[in-house]
Amino acid sequence: MGKKKRGHPDVEELLARPWCYYCERDFEDLKLLISHQKAKHFKCDRCGKRLNTAGGLSVHMNQVHKEALDKVENALANRQGLDIEIFGMEGVPDDIVQQHNQRIITNFYTAQAERHAATGNPPPGHAGGQGPAKKIKMETPEELKKRLADHRAKVAQIKANGGTLPVPVVVPKSQQQQQQQAQVPASVSPVAGQSPAQGASPFPPPQPGFPYPPPVGVMPGAFPPPVQPGVVVGAYPPVFPPRPTTGGTTLPHMPPYYNGGPPGGGGAGGYPGAASTVDELVSGAARQGGGGGDEIDQLIRAAEQGQGSKPPPGARAGEDAGAEKKGKGKDKHMRMVYGDSEVSPEEKMALLPRYAVAAA
Amino acid sequence: MAPSTQFEVSQPPNDVISAVVFAPDNTNRLLVSSWDRNVYLYEIAEGTEDATLLNKFEHRAPILDVCFGANGNEAYTAGLDCSVKRIDLSSGEQTVLSTHEKPVRCVVYSPQHSMLISASWDHTLHVHNTSAPASTPITISLPGKPHALAASPSKVVVAMTARLVHIYDLPALAAALSSADPASATITPWQQRESSLKFLTRAVACMPNDAGYATSSIEGRVAVEWFEDTAESQARKYAFKCHRQTAPEEEGGGDVVYPVNALTFHPVYGTFASGGGDGTVALWDAEAKRRMRQYQKFPDSVAALSFSNNGKYLAIGVCRGFETGMENFDSEGRAKVFIRELGETEAKGKGPK
Repeated sequence: MGKKKRGHPDVEELLARPWCYYCERDFEDLKLLISHQKAKHFKCDRCGKRLNTAGGLSVHMNQVHKEALDKVENALANRQGLDIEIFGMEGVPDDIVQQHNQRIITNFYTAQAERHAATGNPPPGHAGGQGPAKKIKMETPEELKKRLADHRAKVAQIKANGGTLPVPVVVPKSQQQQQQQAQVPASVSPVAGQSPAQGASPFPPPQPGFPYPPPVGVMPGAFPPPVQPGVVVGAYPPVFPPRPTTGGTTLPHMPPYYNGGPPGGGGAGGYPGAASTVDELVSGAARQGGGGGDEIDQLIRAAEQGQGSKPPPGARAGEDAGAEKKGKGKDKHMRMVYGDSEVSPEEKMALLPRYAVAAA
Repeated sequence: MAPSTQFEVSQPPNDVISAVVFAPDNTNRLLVSSWDRNVYLYEIAEGTEDATLLNKFEHRAPILDVCFGANGNEAYTAGLDCSVKRIDLSSGEQTVLSTHEKPVRCVVYSPQHSMLISASWDHTLHVHNTSAPASTPITISLPGKPHALAASPSKVVVAMTARLVHIYDLPALAAALSSADPASATITPWQQRESSLKFLTRAVACMPNDAGYATSSIEGRVAVEWFEDTAESQARKYAFKCHRQTAPEEEGGGDVVYPVNALTFHPVYGTFASGGGDGTVALWDAEAKRRMRQYQKFPDSVAALSFSNNGKYLAIGVCRGFETGMENFDSEGRAKVFIRELGETEAKGKGPK
């Protein structure tokens, strides 16, 4: 079973992309991110020197230009501080990382839902609709999550053991059953254990008779498939357990409830996206889908609008020196403080009575 | 690296500054000409942060330009009263060299050929032989009104209205001047060019190595060109925008564009400084096409700039600039002269990249 390449990246790829703390832009690789930061956030507006960090720029401004740096240029309003030392992805506070990942995931599922709605295709798992769906209809989101956690533990173990069967671990009985369920595809399908993306997938692994994972958290059947064109965009809740920062294949990085797997709803608490009942899921989806994104999204949009029309002051003169050929439409808006191209200011001044020459 | 310091001259002119210039043989001596009808001679006291006013020379009309002659005791002025004058700075004696039909805009002295060239709004250049002050000058008529003038060791560049630029060869002028009948000599420009800048030229400065020159315009732009008339040299010329500010969004955005009033080359490193109506001075590396430094804003428009003969000091004349729509222009009491002592490598370029 080869992995199907779609036109759009999957959520794992999106999460793995390095991104800029100051402006939330993401990049193909770390090098690009670092050069972006040097050019956009750590560049001296006096001499154009590109520093590695905000602290470095501050020292440079102090020593070379005898000026104090008060904020990071081109940063989102609440990220302009100099107190955090950022270099590439290093130094980004954990809560910001979580927030960012949550945002990526939310956007991903919103976009996915939009694609489904636009193409009219049912989401994977909703194809048949009837038979197998009924079987797992009774699973609550907690059970789904628990199953997922168990599966990941299993995958990690398999990996740790070099791909052989896991050493038995002490697992509560109720979970053991599910674990066996989960284990089947992991050993049957050769791809499952090898592809990092698959290994890190929060979806339950493929099950016999149910080839595609259902959308997260939603019980197939409990939710009508969006075949009609009038379906609400964003009906697929962007609910998803928050992701660990790394690829997610390693066990220690998992949020605590992955390991404990408490049977109650308590494990999902504390994360906005992780609702514990279907009702919450639905309402949460409506809120996030309809609301058009969270605070950061709005900040970014605002910043993009601001930047699109007007580059930051100060940066321009420096750029001009290097790139005088940038013939931009900007010139239309320019206002010259002295606009007469025929008569010089001195000639006009010479006409003023106060400069009149006394007769010889 | 010696720390760079900057100080303000304590007795500045009262009105708009037309030119500042350092002496050719004395690092500490400078002249400032002003629309208040005086030429001021200052000397920077070694080790202190001030320049004392040695003397001031009153004229009967505002002075549009000043330059030193063969040494630090001789100066020439361009007056609104149409006369070109020589001033003996030690005695204060003033002699009129020649009289134009209209106000004289610029004067420039060529120490290599002992010649003084003056440009006037009457569309002429006067070329004076200063070793024979009594001789009549050669008059060269120009196709446009001259606005800026600069000399290199072997060339003189005249920038006029309608984007005309004429370059004269100084040895040829000297030969014509010493010929039997200077008045009848026909003098043609060594080169005639169209300015790379679309708007009125504000300033011209020549490279100290005689390779080329820079011009600036009222439209916040500076062009660098080379004398050599080969395809390669001409392909090297370039222009760039500078001395602009982003206008606030509520005023419609876009750029506020200031005139670039002054240009001066560093005598040692060949880098150059530009001063604009926005009150800033920027240091440029002509070879690497890079801005090296931009100094903090001055309180008013930068009207004139000059490096001292060894590049140790940069004199900056600051006063209110004439802008469109200023019917009641008055800059009295707002003129200032700043002297910046440069660090050893402050104006040194990094070379081409």
